[in-house]
Amino acid sequence: MRDVGYVVAGYAVTLAMLGAYRWRLAVRTRRARRYLSTATGRTGPATGRTGAGWR
Amino acid sequence: MRYVYQALTLLGGRRAQRVMGAGTLAGLAATVAVGLFVVPPDAEQGDVQRLMYVHVPAAWVAYLSFGVVFIASIAYLKTGRVQWDRVASASAEIGVQFCALTIVLGALWGRPVWGTWWTWDPRLTTTAVLLLIYVGYVSLRSVADNPVRRARWSAVVGIVGFIDVPIVHMSVVWWRSLHQEATVLRPGAPTIAGSMLAALVLGFVAFSLAYGYLLAVRMRVGRLEDRSALPVSELSTARARRPRPLDAPAPTVDVRHA
Repeated sequence: MRDVGYVVAGYAVTLAMLGAYRWRLAVRTRRARRYLSTATGRTGPATGRTGAGWR
Repeated sequence: MRYVYQALTLLGGRRAQRVMGAGTLAGLAATVAVGLFVVPPDAEQGDVQRLMYVHVPAAWVAYLSFGVVFIASIAYLKTGRVQWDRVASASAEIGVQFCALTIVLGALWGRPVWGTWWTWDPRLTTTAVLLLIYVGYVSLRSVADNPVRRARWSAVVGIVGFIDVPIVHMSVVWWRSLHQEATVLRPGAPTIAGSMLAALVLGFVAFSLAYGYLLAVRMRVGRLEDRSALPVSELSTARARRPRPLDAPAPTVDVRHA
């Protein structure tokens, strides 16, 4: 029964890592967009609407 | 290479990202449900063996990420296209997360089965070295201030660092190891029960989707951050921007480092 604790901890760590990284990326996106909006004087999202990551 | 370029362009689209995000959520939910409640416990290890359904896919995604870094680094050195550098950078960052996760999950599995959180076993040691190599890669990117130099240096590290991936994978064959040998990614048929293999394949699919999704999002962040690093004078401002005539072709962006 004690082993179940290790299993639950493993699955929880996995989901927490994925969630935390996705949240961190969202924060970085917001920060960069806010900076670009301020720097360029545009009110909307500065860039990155379509196919943004690659092109 | 052109087809890889086109595929990445497709994956970078917002609709593709939404689909991958939804697929990732569904895949992870299914992996957790199947791994915890559907598949029977292992005859020898009991319930703790259920960690395999996240530990092995996490290791696979770490290999995949560093493989993509390797390919993108070669492509960058060959073409000088900044997009390849962005792919390598994004993939390395994701690979570091999954490599660290693999080690943590291995420790959680090792404690009840081996009686220790960590041992200087060949598989564990080479995996720790792999993590250190790519932590170094990510750190190098934050140290170099010149974008061209940063891209070139990190491409070299991305190519050389990949040498450790086959060493990690083969370590259990080449040296006496406490870690069990490969059960799926090995020559011949997998040595694992059918239901367990199905759950493991589900984990592989879910984690691969998660990788694709995170890569697409991280590349978008990379592009925005690259633009943020430009001097304000080089950013087109609302006042300076001229509207493009409706009949004019869309501008093609093909950024290359000199």
